[in-house]
Amino acid sequence: MEFNVLIGGEAGQGMFSVELELTEILSRLGYRFFATKNYMSRIRGGHNFHMVRVADRPVHALSGRPWDMVIAMDSGEAERRHRPSLGESGVFIGADRVGQIEAEAKGSFQDVTATSTILVGLILAFIGANPAAVREAATDETVRSALAKGRDFAARWELAARMPIAPNKVDHCKLDGNQALALGALLGGCQFVAGYPMTPATSILHYFATVAAEIPVHFEQAEDEIAALNMALGASYAGLRSMVATSGGGFALMTEAVSLAGMTETPIVIIDAQRPGPATGLPTRTEQGDLNFVLHAGHGEFPRVIFAPGSIEEAIALARRAFDVADRWQVPVFILTDQYLADSVQIMEGRVPTKMLRRDYPVFEAGYRRYEITDDGVSPLTYPGLSEARVEVDSDEHTEDGKITEDLDLRVRMVEKRLRKLEGLHRETVMPSRFGDQKAKTILISWGSNRLIVNEAVEALQDEGIAVASVHFGQVWPLTPKMARGLSRKRLICIENNATGQFAQLLRRELGLKVAQRILKYNGECFTVAELVEQVKKIIS
Amino acid sequence: MLKQDIAWCPGCGDFPIRSTLEKVLNELPIPGQDIVLTSGIGQAAKMPHYLPYSYFNGLHGRSLPLAVGVKLARPDLTVIAVSGDGCQYGEGGNHFIHTIRRRLDITILACDNKVYALTKGQSSPTTDQEMKNALDPAGNLNLPFNPLAVAILVGAPFVARTFAGNPQHMESVLREAILFKGTSVVDILQPCVSFNKVNTYPWYRERVYTLEEPLKERLKAIRTAQEWGDRIPIGIFWRDEQFVCREGKDTFRKPVTEDAVARLLNTKCIMMR
Repeated sequence: MEFNVLIGGEAGQGMFSVELELTEILSRLGYRFFATKNYMSRIRGGHNFHMVRVADRPVHALSGRPWDMVIAMDSGEAERRHRPSLGESGVFIGADRVGQIEAEAKGSFQDVTATSTILVGLILAFIGANPAAVREAATDETVRSALAKGRDFAARWELAARMPIAPNKVDHCKLDGNQALALGALLGGCQFVAGYPMTPATSILHYFATVAAEIPVHFEQAEDEIAALNMALGASYAGLRSMVATSGGGFALMTEAVSLAGMTETPIVIIDAQRPGPATGLPTRTEQGDLNFVLHAGHGEFPRVIFAPGSIEEAIALARRAFDVADRWQVPVFILTDQYLADSVQIMEGRVPTKMLRRDYPVFEAGYRRYEITDDGVSPLTYPGLSEARVEVDSDEHTEDGKITEDLDLRVRMVEKRLRKLEGLHRETVMPSRFGDQKAKTILISWGSNRLIVNEAVEALQDEGIAVASVHFGQVWPLTPKMARGLSRKRLICIENNATGQFAQLLRRELGLKVAQRILKYNGECFTVAELVEQVKKIIS
Repeated sequence: MLKQDIAWCPGCGDFPIRSTLEKVLNELPIPGQDIVLTSGIGQAAKMPHYLPYSYFNGLHGRSLPLAVGVKLARPDLTVIAVSGDGCQYGEGGNHFIHTIRRRLDITILACDNKVYALTKGQSSPTTDQEMKNALDPAGNLNLPFNPLAVAILVGAPFVARTFAGNPQHMESVLREAILFKGTSVVDILQPCVSFNKVNTYPWYRERVYTLEEPLKERLKAIRTAQEWGDRIPIGIFWRDEQFVCREGKDTFRKPVTEDAVARLLNTKCIMMR
C-alpha cells in the first residue's frame, strides 16, 4: 500500500511548508516515506510542486504512478498541470477547498500560514494516522489544534482513512542528501568549510554555518569560489581536514585550485552538487552533466578520486571515507551529487553511524622534507608550528624540500611520485553495489543519485517476470577491472541524467565495457520508477 | 641566508626587501616555527623560498585566500602574505578588497615595482599612465590603482608605504605592520632594474619624503595616499588603534566528538538551497 501526493502552487504559497511539516511529523510517527521537489529559480510566483510518497515498505524514489491526491494552492496552474495525472479514485483539493482551509487558518489562528499545518492534518487523516499519536507528535498546542482541524476537514469531505498506511516503528532518521553529505563530512573529521552560495549546494554550507556555533568547526563565506578553494587549501595546509561545496558553475572557478591541490598534494574534499548546464542552465533542477568536467578539471596530470553516492547511507559513508582517502593519499577527492539527491528527503532505517575518523599530527625534526620521494608516492604530512620542521609547499615543480626547481630529472621523479599514488588508489576502490538476480542477462548500470530509482525499477520488472538486475557505481574514478567483473558478457543498459551518456563512454574507455543501450534524461527532472520500467521494457521487447 | 639559487636580477629591489624581512622576522618576539608565509606567482612571490620559514607558495593572485585559510585554521600562527603588485592588486584584486573586510590579523605585503617583471615588462595595475611596453605600445591607457587609498577606504586598520631603497624605514614599518593586531597592508616601492626604466632608485630618492606619524583622520589619510608625482609620501598613513580584530576559532587538534555529532543528528532540514 502506498500514497502519492503532490502539492503545487506559486513560490511563496506554502507548499514547501507543507512538505517540511509533513515529513517532520511523518518521521516522528515512524512512517516510511520519500519526498522531493520541483521548483523554479525564483522566490515568488511561477510554479513549484512538492511530492511525497508514503508507503508501508521502504521507498526511495518517485513512483511515477497517478497521484492519489493533488493539492492546488494557486488559482489554476497547478490544476491545469497536475489534475490530468490524478488517479481514477484520486482526490483533488483545489482553490475552493484550500480557500476554506485558509479561512479556517485566519479565523481560528489569526495566521494564514496555519493553512499548511491544517493540510498536513488532512493528509495524516487520509492515510489513517492514529489521532492520539498525531496529537503526541505535535510540537505545541497551536500545531496540535491545527492538525485536528485538518482531521475535521477530512471527516467533513469524507476523506478520513481513505488509504490507511501503517507506520513502522523501527529506529529511523530523516535526512536529505545534503544533510547526509554534511553529516558524513563531520564523521570524516572535517573541521573547515569555505564556500560561496550556489544552488543546490548551499544547504551544505548552511549546515556547517549552523553547527559551527556548537562544535569546533569553522565555516567561512568566501568572496568567490576561487577564494573558497584556496582558503580550504590554506586551512588544510595548516592542519584541518577541509572541504568546499558548490555546483558546476562555481566549480568552474575552482579548477585552477584543483590543480594546485594536485601539485601541492594538499588533502581536500570537493562536493559538486550538479545542476543542468551549460552556464547558468536550470539553477534549481537536476542533471548528471559534470562527470567529464570533474574528471578532467585542473591543468596537468595528477591523481584524484571521484565518489557518486546513490543513497542517504552511501552519502554518509562516502563523504566520511572521502576525508580519509584525501588525507592518506594527499589527493583531491570529489563527491558528485545533484539537485535530486540534495533536495530529496528520505528515511534511513537503523542507527545513524556516529563513529568519527581522526587524523594524526606527526611531529618531525628540522630537515623534514614535505615532498620526500617514497615507494607509494605518499610523503610524510605534517603541519606548521608543531616543531622546527618547516612545512614548505610550492605550486611550481619542486624539490623534496618544497623549493622551486627546474631540474628536469627531478621533475620526472616528482611526476612519477605523484602518479604512483594511483596504484594504491586502485587497490582500495569502492566496489559497485549489485542488486537483483545477477544471473539476469540484462544489467541496468547507474551511478550517483539514480541508484534506488533503478533498483525499484528492477523489482517492478522482476515482478512482471522480466529478468534484469542492476549495478551501481558509487565510485566513478578510478575505475578498475575488478569493478567490471562479470559485466562484459551482459547486455548493459546505462541510465544517466545527461544527454551524452558520459559514464557509458567512460566504461568503454576505461574498462572496455560496451553499453548496448542508454536511457538518458536531461530535461532537468529526475527519473521515476514507472518511467524507467516503461523504457527498459521498450528496449527489451 | 639559505644556500639557494636566487632567481632575481642583480640589483633587484627584492633583495633589500628580503634581507630586511629576514631581520625583522628574526627579531620578532615570536618563535620562527610559528610564522607562515603565503605567496602567489611573480618575482616577489618567490620570496618565501629565500627565507627560513614555513610557506605555501600558491597560484597567481591567490596568496590572500591561502593566508585567510591558514589564519582561520590556526589563529596561533603569524601569517604574512607577500607577493607583487600584479599578484596582490591585479589577479588577486578581488581578494585584496575582501581579505581586508575579514578583519583578520594578517600582514599583506606587496613588493610594488609597477610592472609585470616575470613576464618581461607589461603594465601592472600600478603602472603609471602613458608608460610604453610591449603590450601597450601606445602607452598605458589605464588609471593606476591606488592600493593605499583603497585599503584605507575598505577598512584596513594599518596602511603603510615604504621604499626598498631605505632599509631602515622598511625595517621599522615592516616590524610595526607585523606586530599590529589586525589586517596590515604595506605597499613597498621596489625598483625593477630590468623592466621599469622610469621608477628607478634615483627617481624615487628625489621624490620620497617620510611621514612623521600616521594621519589623524581617515579622509586625510586617503587624501595623503593620493599624493604621487613630484613628492611621494612613505610611512604609516593610517593606524586605527580602536580596530577590533576578529579572533579565529580554536579548532586545531580539537576534533569534534561523537557525542556532539549524535546531538546534531536532529539538526533541522534546511530550506536554503
